[in-house]
Amino acid sequence: MRNALLAGLAAASLVVLPAAAQTPLRASLNSDIRSTQPGGNRDFNTDSVILHVVEGLVALNEHAAPVPMLAEKMELSGDGRTYTFTLRQGVTFHNGAPLTSAEVLWSLRRYMDPATNWRCLPDLNGRSGLAKITEMAAPDARTVTITLEKPAALFLSTIARPDCGSTGVLHPSSVGADGAWVKPVGTGPYSLGEWRRGQYVELERFEGYAALPGERDGFAGGKRALMPRIRFVTIPDSSAAKAALLAGNVDVMTDVPGPELPDLRANRAVQVLAAPSMGVTALLLQTRDPLLKDERIRRAIALALDVPELVTSIVGDDAPENPSPLPSASPFRSEAQTRRPARDLAAAKRLLAEAGYRGQPIRMITNRRYPNVYDASVAAQAMAADAGIKIELEVLDWATELDRYTRGDYQAMAFIYSPRLDPSLSYEMISGPKDTQPRKVWDDPQALELIQRSMTVTDEAERQRIFDRLYGMFMQQVPMVVLYNQPDYIAVRQGVTGVRPWASGQTRLWGVARGG
Amino acid sequence: MSATYALKRLAWALPTLLLVAVAVFALLRMVPGDPAQLMLGDAADAVQLDALRETMGLNQSLPVQFARWLQAALRGDLGRSLANDQAVLPLILERFRVTASIVLAAVALAGLIAVPLGTIAAWKQNSALDLAVVGGATLLLSIPSFWLGLLMLLFFGLKLGWVPVVGYVGFGEDPWQALLYVALPIVTLTLIETGVLTRMARSAAIDVLRLEYVAHARSKGLRESTVLRRHVLPNAFAPTLTLLGIVLGNLLGGIAVIETVFTLPGLGRLLVDGITARDYPVVQGCMLFVATIYVLVNLLVDLLYPLFDPRVAAE
Repeated sequence: MRNALLAGLAAASLVVLPAAAQTPLRASLNSDIRSTQPGGNRDFNTDSVILHVVEGLVALNEHAAPVPMLAEKMELSGDGRTYTFTLRQGVTFHNGAPLTSAEVLWSLRRYMDPATNWRCLPDLNGRSGLAKITEMAAPDARTVTITLEKPAALFLSTIARPDCGSTGVLHPSSVGADGAWVKPVGTGPYSLGEWRRGQYVELERFEGYAALPGERDGFAGGKRALMPRIRFVTIPDSSAAKAALLAGNVDVMTDVPGPELPDLRANRAVQVLAAPSMGVTALLLQTRDPLLKDERIRRAIALALDVPELVTSIVGDDAPENPSPLPSASPFRSEAQTRRPARDLAAAKRLLAEAGYRGQPIRMITNRRYPNVYDASVAAQAMAADAGIKIELEVLDWATELDRYTRGDYQAMAFIYSPRLDPSLSYEMISGPKDTQPRKVWDDPQALELIQRSMTVTDEAERQRIFDRLYGMFMQQVPMVVLYNQPDYIAVRQGVTGVRPWASGQTRLWGVARGG
Repeated sequence: MSATYALKRLAWALPTLLLVAVAVFALLRMVPGDPAQLMLGDAADAVQLDALRETMGLNQSLPVQFARWLQAALRGDLGRSLANDQAVLPLILERFRVTASIVLAAVALAGLIAVPLGTIAAWKQNSALDLAVVGGATLLLSIPSFWLGLLMLLFFGLKLGWVPVVGYVGFGEDPWQALLYVALPIVTLTLIETGVLTRMARSAAIDVLRLEYVAHARSKGLRESTVLRRHVLPNAFAPTLTLLGIVLGNLLGGIAVIETVFTLPGLGRLLVDGITARDYPVVQGCMLFVATIYVLVNLLVDLLYPLFDPRVAAE
């Protein structure tokens, strides 16, 4: 009787709740998610949504360093090959089942099965050279061990990566009896509610969530689901997303493009938040091009650009210029890596004359999908012209530019790299043998050796020395001109609290509440 | 006669559809860009790319890819989306429902407004009313749909707050909410199409007003309203119907801009997203579907034509 009364009161309270309290917290996404499989058929938006639902043994903190998440602690064996994870107690899946080492092992084995098409499989089966798992075991219900073929400094960072779905631990009921994917049954602060393709994906608060103590820290730390429901609404057009935010149809606008910022900043009903992400915006120079293979011409281009001025004109004070392939948020981007030669037109002209440059056009590929990248190429074109360098812009759609990038089929290219959360990967993304990997910008065997070494060395001071040395070589050879780290912009309506952009660029809606 | 004619037209449509299928397939493959590359992003290495392309069936030769796709299409299976692994045909049908509900309402409204308006403007040719109608129609015709849509959105959605700015609710779920969500897209599309149809209706009515049977009707002493209603309107409607068919065929094929501005999960947005993601099965399926719709709508218009112009039936 008492229970029935309480249920009745609860139902009545729902009826009288103000509409705002019943409406989910709504955040815009510029494209629909691709699937609900962590690290499977994915993109940036998919990762953002799924990481509300699943969690891994470790997660990246605010500084992109791997820290325990579902693991209470982890230990590395003396030979640097075996990781022992002790699981936290009291963690349950969305279906109420307790987390044990059996589910962790089941999830890991599933990820390591090529049929899963897990994005990070090549990084953990030895194919990419990053790490090779040779054995996984669950000695008891709270312990999981993973043994590698040889020590790998990037192992924990890799399994924590958002594009790997944070190697989210899933309950076996995530797949059907036939092994086909159903939906993620994870341990995250939200569970998957309804996904209306092309419209929205809604997540529901997981009432049984076992939050870590402390504050939110990247993808780790104390995650608190303050809103009962959150909804990621697909709005491809940024003007429509802006209108929706101003009209109160969404509470959070993610990934705000530059052209929408002035209007939003002028409106008192919303607040624009910005933080430099780990994505790199740069001008790539093809070192195998008949003209640009001459290092002097590449250096002349770099000297012709007033990068601080260029960056300020594009992103204002939202992100500083950054000459290094390492993002400014990386703890390994030392003071030495902030130095860039100042603009020197006389020196640029001298180098051009030495190289015998006579105004031959340099075609630079750019795109309008990322307005800041386009603006950067236009500014670079104008600045280079002051030194007598003739840059012609070729505007392509993103798919075509990506295709040309992959094939190395360009002379120069304005490009934006997705975030790499480890310094070794920042260098790995641009370096490699062009014969087998034409997309690589920098082909220097000595640099490659250093990068490989940085992936195995665990001593931080030693790693720092390697990255500083790589930076010196990089600036000398100028295979590309790094401009800045693209700021991540988020606009929120007044009354929405807890939204904070950060280096990974991914949206986090735990710890976010809507007042009123 | 109509049944035989319809069957003949449908039979003629088959080579057209095959041609469309071949052209779309070939053109898509000629466009640079790789769906596997787009999915993996800038971090993909050659091995990963090759593995994903293998999974997607993109490593087979083009003729084999086409033959397999066509074979399945003939069985009504348009394949699965490369982007999200959904079956393409149900996806198209689901999205088409949204597009069709908006397009049919907008075209019906535009027809109801444009035909009488154009006829009256023709009747009052060179008067202030005529000038106003022609000017208004030209203005509507000249306004880009995305701009008009955005203005609508900003004024009625943002400033007045009468309708929601983004989202979609199906009529089956909540008819009132559904109406609120589709009101602005329908109004926008109606305005744009009213411009096109009014000009056509006016021009057709002017031609009819000059014909001898209209002069004869007037000389018999019939009231102007009767002349217009009984003799001008039906005869002037026939050419407008043809245009109506073309407009309907075009719009049913997707109103990508409107759907993008108003965030509607329609066929046009599916197609545009498919092109951006180089989602070959979705683009091929959409184009084949659109071509089929176009053929069917035009066939329907041709079959309706004799109702308004008996001379066609006689021929």
